[in-house]
Amino acid sequence: MTEPSKKAATREIVERNLPARYRSESRFRTAGIVAIIVSVIILVLLIGSIGLKSLPAYTAWQIHLPVALDQALVDPEGDSSEASIRQGSFGRVLQNGMRETFPDVSGRSNMRSLFQLYTSLNSTRLMDQVIADPGLIGSDYVFTMPLGDDLDLYLKGMLVEDRSVEMNGVLEIEAGRRRTNIQSQSADFAIVLAELQQMMIDEALSLESRAAANRTLMASVDAEEADRLNEEAARFDQRAQVLRTDAAGENGQLELSDDLPSVIVEFRGGAIRMNRLDLNGQGGSGESILSIAENRSDEAWTLYVVDTPQARRRIPDNQLIWTRALVERGIVTQAFNHYFFANADSREPELAGIRGALNGSILTLIVTLLLSIPVGIATAIYLEEFAPKNKFTDLIEVNINNLAAVPSIIFGLLGVAIFIDVFSLPRGTPVLGGLVLSLMTLPTIIIATRASLKAVPPSIRQAALGVGASRTQSVFHHVLPLATPGILTGSIIGLSRALGETAPLLMIGMVAFIADAPKLSLEGFTEPATVLPVQIYLWYSAAERAFEPRAAAAIIVLLTLIISFNAVAVYLRRKFERRW
Amino acid sequence: MTTAQAQATLYHDIPEARDVKVAIAGVDVHYGDKQALFDVSMQIPDRSVTAFIGPSGCGKSTFLRCVNRMNDTIDGAVVTGSLKIDGTEINDKTIDPVVLRASVGMVFQKPNPFPKSIYDNVAYGPKIHGLAATREELDGIVEQSLVKAGLWGEVSDRLTDPGTSLSGGQQQRLVIARAIAVNPEVILMDEPCSALDPIATAKVEELIDELRENYCIIMVTHSMAQAARVSQMTAFFHLGNLVEYGPTEEIFTNPRERRTQDYITGRFG
Amino acid sequence: MSVISLVALALLVMVAGGFYMGRTRAIKQVAGRSSELHSLPNYYGYYVALWTGFPALLLLAAYGLFGAASTHSWTVAELRAQAHEMSAQFEGDLAANSEYVQLESTLESLELTVNGLREELARLRRANDADRDPHLIQLRLEEQRSSRALLALAGTSIEDYRTGVATGMLVTARETGVAASIRAGFFLTHSDIVRAELFMSDARKIARGETPSELLPELEIVASRLTDHQNTLRNSVGLLVLALAAIALLWTRSQIQPQFRARNNVERLTTVLLIAASILSIITTIGIVLSMLFESMRFFSIIPIQDFLFGLHWSPQIAIREDQLGQSGAFGAIPLFAGTAMITLIAMLVAVPIGLFSAIYLSEYAAPKFRTIAKPVLEVLAGVPTVVFGFFALLTVGPAIRALFTSLGFESAVTQSALSAGLVMGVMIIPFISSLSDDVINAVPQSLRDGSYAMGATRSETVVHVVIPAALPGIFGAVLLAISRAIGETMIVVMAAGQGANLTANPLESVTTITVQIVALLTGDLEFEGPKTLSAFALGLTLFAVTLLMNVIALRVVQKYREKYD
Repeated sequence: MTEPSKKAATREIVERNLPARYRSESRFRTAGIVAIIVSVIILVLLIGSIGLKSLPAYTAWQIHLPVALDQALVDPEGDSSEASIRQGSFGRVLQNGMRETFPDVSGRSNMRSLFQLYTSLNSTRLMDQVIADPGLIGSDYVFTMPLGDDLDLYLKGMLVEDRSVEMNGVLEIEAGRRRTNIQSQSADFAIVLAELQQMMIDEALSLESRAAANRTLMASVDAEEADRLNEEAARFDQRAQVLRTDAAGENGQLELSDDLPSVIVEFRGGAIRMNRLDLNGQGGSGESILSIAENRSDEAWTLYVVDTPQARRRIPDNQLIWTRALVERGIVTQAFNHYFFANADSREPELAGIRGALNGSILTLIVTLLLSIPVGIATAIYLEEFAPKNKFTDLIEVNINNLAAVPSIIFGLLGVAIFIDVFSLPRGTPVLGGLVLSLMTLPTIIIATRASLKAVPPSIRQAALGVGASRTQSVFHHVLPLATPGILTGSIIGLSRALGETAPLLMIGMVAFIADAPKLSLEGFTEPATVLPVQIYLWYSAAERAFEPRAAAAIIVLLTLIISFNAVAVYLRRKFERRW
Repeated sequence: MTTAQAQATLYHDIPEARDVKVAIAGVDVHYGDKQALFDVSMQIPDRSVTAFIGPSGCGKSTFLRCVNRMNDTIDGAVVTGSLKIDGTEINDKTIDPVVLRASVGMVFQKPNPFPKSIYDNVAYGPKIHGLAATREELDGIVEQSLVKAGLWGEVSDRLTDPGTSLSGGQQQRLVIARAIAVNPEVILMDEPCSALDPIATAKVEELIDELRENYCIIMVTHSMAQAARVSQMTAFFHLGNLVEYGPTEEIFTNPRERRTQDYITGRFG
Repeated sequence: MSVISLVALALLVMVAGGFYMGRTRAIKQVAGRSSELHSLPNYYGYYVALWTGFPALLLLAAYGLFGAASTHSWTVAELRAQAHEMSAQFEGDLAANSEYVQLESTLESLELTVNGLREELARLRRANDADRDPHLIQLRLEEQRSSRALLALAGTSIEDYRTGVATGMLVTARETGVAASIRAGFFLTHSDIVRAELFMSDARKIARGETPSELLPELEIVASRLTDHQNTLRNSVGLLVLALAAIALLWTRSQIQPQFRARNNVERLTTVLLIAASILSIITTIGIVLSMLFESMRFFSIIPIQDFLFGLHWSPQIAIREDQLGQSGAFGAIPLFAGTAMITLIAMLVAVPIGLFSAIYLSEYAAPKFRTIAKPVLEVLAGVPTVVFGFFALLTVGPAIRALFTSLGFESAVTQSALSAGLVMGVMIIPFISSLSDDVINAVPQSLRDGSYAMGATRSETVVHVVIPAALPGIFGAVLLAISRAIGETMIVVMAAGQGANLTANPLESVTTITVQIVALLTGDLEFEGPKTLSAFALGLTLFAVTLLMNVIALRVVQKYREKYD
């Protein structure tokens, strides 16, 4: 083949293969874009899902309860002294206030249920307010406290499935001693009634099909197992039978058990929880929860159905009804959840806040900052500017690089074995936490500082040495100032990592339940405390559902802090970045 | 320089025996706001070595990189004007640089063998372009290219060694072998000997001289002696302008432009 | 203002004063012609200030670190000494108590049995192949296990007995009006650690004027002692600090003469301080290694190392009663290693492709503008604390995975699974891999890319055939570092992987890891000195050794790679 024709052939082959090559090119490029998009989506999902979960934590439903601060109750000694007030029975004051608000609630169990609308820890808060202002003694006072956590979630629509239907037929109410009968002119209850019956029938059907399944299985298992299955099937059938009978009703009425949705009739100033519904759909009988003193008839009323059965939720119907009544009367209102930002941890979610953990984090970070930054910078200066090149400095260098990659939990173990067991530093205190975290952040700061010292060109040092400065002078007067932005950036990033660190602090006992926020003072450093990430961990592992949004909100606070730390670092880097 | 003067130097006689391979007319290059080349026009003959000389930053490398559109890989570089190879316009969005570069090879200042074996280095082009259907064909192409590059005798027994294990001069010849493995029509060389010692330089120059038989070679060089030794045509660039272009002998013995003469005699550089 | 703040302020004033005095004295000595001084006048100031401030500051820092602990142990020791008589009476009573003596002798004989069994087992294990009797070894092992359980039981009963007697004595003491300080000392001597801690924390609360969990006369007396000792210690440390500073100030000031080499002295001092700082990192490592090694040795003296490394069963709770289920006190770490490996593998399967492709896209394809947006996003992801990822894994990813797999017919899918922990850990590692790979890819010289483009290669061909092979050692190092990070990651697995030590290959089951167990062992009910607590250190040592090995290899590979292209 001659040269020119060979070249032409080459070009032809290249052009023929081109489309396939471009297809693989675009596949590759797409993979890259997809990888980036996946990362971004995950970040959005992460922050978004946590942000959504945290929303309920920012507001709180509060009870503004009118209470009478009787001297006899709140100031038994009568001298308005702190000691006397501390002996007062503020729990009673709150209970009296609730009783005044719902005068017609009677019976021990109803009373107990009523007092569960708030946590009894609030009596201490009331006491503190009275101690702060003894002038309140003897006056009528409106005490503001958070509604119980479950009811708070209920009002935020997160606890139960419910619906209400406005009605306007005339409703005749006949108040009895034990039960109240109601009668409507039209079949207002027919739809609900049919639903309930259907629900029971469905349940019966499902039980029967399970029984049938058991019986088919019996053929293929051994005798003992078959017996067991048979017994179970019999039980299913029996329950189904009961359900069917119940669904058909008795004496023209359907009985409502706790396993069925609750049916509540609400009207001006009152509410009845229905126990029985007439099969004709026109009425029924129930228990009056709110003030029915006499027979009456109403034209505007509401049928309120809670689809989550009472047996499957933590709050009974009467608490729901009282809470709704309080909202109606304007005694319970929703406001910004200042408890979350002003309080330390608490056993009761509605009173729990991040203040304690925030203070703990601040104290711990101060210790970390004071220890790790000077030592880190000093080490970096020595290694980069003064150290002779020998085995020993090599060892230090390798060692620092390795320490940077040692899992943080190892530093926690070190804290336990050395600081607690050998030096007997107090467990779970900011001093100890800060010490452990500073050992952990030290390598980060050293490496960042060395990098920024290295970035200062040798010409600066030579110029300084050339005009007769000593080595120390050239470093401290000329090199260090130029490296400051880089050092600052590295230190901030190191500290932000320390701020988010959890594992080593778990090890050294910063997991204790701390109900009082540590003081931001010298004493605070040696008192047990917890930090934000650990607080998140504690709340996440707590049983109450209402802690979950609080943990999420604490995460948002933590992320805000960390991202702003990083933003400052990035800003510093951009602003002072200098290429030589 | 006035347009008339430029015009005078542009279409200088090309020795008759040679065809025009690359024809350039009115090329400007901008990097962002900065203009790097001003209205360059010239015709480069086939089967010969054309050398670009001039002081640092005069635009000769930039111009070289226009020929295989390597400037495309630099953000903000804009090339305008006409560049034709064998009469086909290449400075055109419709021309795929991938195809173009398959027929315009390039050798860089510093030898840059890939982190692969000697064999794979040479086989790289044929492989990505799909030039060899079978392993034997590929072996043939590799051997042929190494032979052409004068390297076969030195490496035939260690083709699996990494390309970086060769000496600097060998590496540069390996890179040339890599470039000719895809049968290019034009080979661009960007100061191919500046990182080599004198002996290696001599070998590479010898190779360039041999390759001239089959290829159109365009070479940027810092060394005027090298230009005089290996090239047939020489172009002198200064501050982004093509000052003078003509047969090497004439440029070195009888430059028309004062600046050319000053540069060649070493008044500036 | 507290005494310590006052002292610190005074120290600050003295340092500033020292600087001023050193400087003026030097200038005065040469009558203002500072060129006659050996060093610049400021250096004389620095010299005095450094010596004035530094030793005193060290003392103050030591007080800050150890002050509270020393007050505490001083008070406890003093109270215990006061209760010496009562304690002696207590021991005497016990010695005279036949029931207790019985218990003690049982304990002793059990200890003898256990020791004898251990020696016998060692002997049996050392026996040659011919004499080796696996059956007998098995038998003795079982005997050893049961007598260990008995020993533990005997230990607790003795403790209980002692506590019972001690409580009785305390009640009598309160009735007969024994001084509260003696009662407190007695309580602190004979109660268990947790209760003593609670007691002291209440006492500290009273001392600070906060509300304790209960108010006892004992607590009040301890609180007053604590306050006294704290004041004494604080005042004496404060005085000592000021005295130290004053002496140093006067001494160094008297040294100042025109020919005094102040600059050299200051510089030497600075260098010493710098060296001291850099040695701290070595001390940290030594501290880590020694503490782990020491505690692990104690662990391995109870549990043979081969049982730990190759045992298939992990259940660190030691049964005290025979009837407790699944609490045999087994310390075979294989299930933990397997769980760690599985989660790490899943994490890498997520993180390596996504991280690598992100890095490639950012460094080879993305326009500069896109880079300036995408890089901070990855940095934010890198800055998210792991506890947040754990929360995300448990509350968002876990349920999603469970729902997905349940709908696909895997009924056994659980929320806390290896899969959800691994996926989220992978997400956590993405930015780590992408930023490290970005660095190594950027370190590949542009000339190689140019060479490839000049051959007519497309971008992807250049990346796959030239850039990646060139960056491979660096990428390998990055992945190794990422693996070591995944192995050592704690919070995600603690929250999302569960506690069950299952030896399984099914990623939908819950598994446990080394780090989860370390946390569980050290944060649960603290049982001091038991093999359970010690095993945490053995796990820590294993973790440290594995990650250290990986880090050393990775750092070496990356460094070699850097040198190649620098």
